[in-house]
Amino acid sequence: MKKRFIALTLVVALLITALTGCKAEKPAPDSSGNAKNENNESNNDSTDTSEPTTLTVWAWDDNYNIPIMQLAGEYYAKENPNVSVEVISLAKEDVYTKMQTGLSAGGTGLPDIVLLEDYVSAKYLQTFKGSFADLTDKVDYSNFLPFKIDAVSNSGRAYGVPLDTGASILFYRTDLIQEAGYTDADMQDMTWEQFIEIGKAVKDKTGSYMIVEMAANKTTLLRSMMQSVGKWYFDSNGEISIVDNVALEKGFALIKDMKDAGILYEAEGTGDRAGVLNNGTVASIVNGPWMASTIKAATDQSGLWRIASTPRFSDVEGAVNASNLGGSSWYVFESSKNKDIAADLLNKVYANSTEYYEDIMLAHACVSGYIPALSGPAFETEDEYFGGQKIYQIFADTLAKVPGVNYGGYVAEANDAITAAFAGVLSGDTEIKAALEAADAQLKNQLGR
Amino acid sequence: MKKRTKKLINYNAYGWFFVSFALILFCVFTIYPAFESIWLSFQTFDEGAFRFSGLDNFKRMLGDKLFFKSMANTFLFLIIQVPIMKVLALSFATMLNKPKLKARGILRTAIFLPCVTSLVAYSVLFKMMFSMNGIVNNVLMSLDVLSESFQWLQNPIWAKIIIIIALTWRWTGYDVIFFLAAMQNIPAETYEAAQIDGSNSWNTFWKITLPQLKPIILLTMIMSTNGTLQLFDEPMNITMGGPANSTLTMSQYIYNQSFVYSPNLGYSATLSYVIVFIMIILAIIQFRITGDDAK
Repeated sequence: MKKRFIALTLVVALLITALTGCKAEKPAPDSSGNAKNENNESNNDSTDTSEPTTLTVWAWDDNYNIPIMQLAGEYYAKENPNVSVEVISLAKEDVYTKMQTGLSAGGTGLPDIVLLEDYVSAKYLQTFKGSFADLTDKVDYSNFLPFKIDAVSNSGRAYGVPLDTGASILFYRTDLIQEAGYTDADMQDMTWEQFIEIGKAVKDKTGSYMIVEMAANKTTLLRSMMQSVGKWYFDSNGEISIVDNVALEKGFALIKDMKDAGILYEAEGTGDRAGVLNNGTVASIVNGPWMASTIKAATDQSGLWRIASTPRFSDVEGAVNASNLGGSSWYVFESSKNKDIAADLLNKVYANSTEYYEDIMLAHACVSGYIPALSGPAFETEDEYFGGQKIYQIFADTLAKVPGVNYGGYVAEANDAITAAFAGVLSGDTEIKAALEAADAQLKNQLGR
Repeated sequence: MKKRTKKLINYNAYGWFFVSFALILFCVFTIYPAFESIWLSFQTFDEGAFRFSGLDNFKRMLGDKLFFKSMANTFLFLIIQVPIMKVLALSFATMLNKPKLKARGILRTAIFLPCVTSLVAYSVLFKMMFSMNGIVNNVLMSLDVLSESFQWLQNPIWAKIIIIIALTWRWTGYDVIFFLAAMQNIPAETYEAAQIDGSNSWNTFWKITLPQLKPIILLTMIMSTNGTLQLFDEPMNITMGGPANSTLTMSQYIYNQSFVYSPNLGYSATLSYVIVFIMIILAIIQFRITGDDAK
């Protein structure tokens, strides 16, 4: 009996330590971030850049936001030769988890600046109040698009500096559309019903699917549809708005129609999605400007692609052929020893240099939220890949029409609730109304409301 | 006599000195977090600071349908996958234990090989195999079983089955090693005696092999139960918990609560302790069922 007791006690001890030990995350010591901060202790809270300073930045795309920030460092170094910028490349999820562990540990191991998507920033601004530097008075916000300022603000104070916008755009294969008997003119400013009609013709005549969406998470289209009528999972007061959300209801019905008509390709991952766009399996996609670089990877299709405004709801009041899909912004940590220099860099480069924005737009198709940089000679650039269209002008025109919405701190929870409920609608097991109610119930349950 | 005691003390001091490094690390990184997380489970993370919230997290858990869904999924994996795996592992071990078996070394290596692959790597491989243009669809289509690609991972039932197949592939060999080692400890005399008494091999297995394997079966059962209740890598990489949360496991839900959703480490700690208590209860039940022989 005694033996058994000891054995059981050991098993219990093993279980407790094995399980909870790994759950209680220790702050990940980040040598690079820490070392940099300590080196520059002399610069504590000052914009005095007479001493050599290195700003560390976390970002995630080696072909996009990392070189973009490195260029910002070069711009700033022209006037402040002692300041250099070191951008550390991490996977996007790792940026968030590393940052969260650092913030939970009271701000250790963090860089000076971090890039956050607008969909997640509110979550961190709310939960880690006081951990991000208030930039309201340090950065000139007068020239940014209003919906981008909304995205970086919390309780009336601005914490982030907008990097890019995600103008929702329809990319399509003009040759396939023409083969189906339609013209480029038909693709402009159309409704989703017209889009589905054309899609059926494309499927009939060419065998290609009309549109691609991720199989596991169909919220890209839904999010684009919602913001095009100024709706979101949450209303402007942050209250859940799902059951009475006309955009979600219509969106569910439209995407189900696409699936039933056989014109929707469900991609298994971003690699699969890029593949079907590049090999002609799919004729179009609704996504942000960054999708241009994915599409251009197929050099043999140069001249076959065009862009147009996103289709709109035909029967919802205030529906526009424009929406936004994400975008990201730079944030400075309150714990950073160099936060004033960091804020100064963001202000000088991102809030005062149209030249910089021209550079990053032409080099990386980065379309900003900085109004003075949304017009000018760079927008006259014709893109051969897209048959000589002035694609940047089209992105900018779209942005001007995007309705602002309050994303709120629970986008991930809402995405998951909608995805789970929508699966039943697509398989035909659930009515749309019932699915919306189920999603609403799950989200309320999750948020404890 | 005196000298001898002194020597003993010295040995003890050295012993403790050498053990102390591991012990200190163990305390700092395992014991301390374990107790700290008990405290954490009574707190709520709000606006950058932890605040004591009593039993709020437990109340929230009781009304959390998604958590219970993840629990149901995890138990489904447990109830279906673990028995399949034990039976398979026992048959493989019995087969490999036959002295007359040819190419025993190669077979043994082949069966154990999946266990050395990384969890993430093999999960990604399974995901690729069952993708739209993966090998499974291609083979089934070329055999005319399927007329067009089937989205295995988008079907709630098939997604579960694929995770069970993956788990079985990865972990069976691990159990086989345990069973094989235990079987080799069974004295050959007992088999000889059984043979002389005219026992057939089926009877020998049931009456001689199995009873003597009982303690090791209990051990592997506890380990498998543990592992399955903590299941994370496979659903995370193969299905992301989808479609429609049909493969969401408890660990993945805890991860979501910590890092995907609005971060609430206090609630995550509470859920972790719920799993701990479930495991303790299961361990007690398993001890009870196997009875005193298992000592």
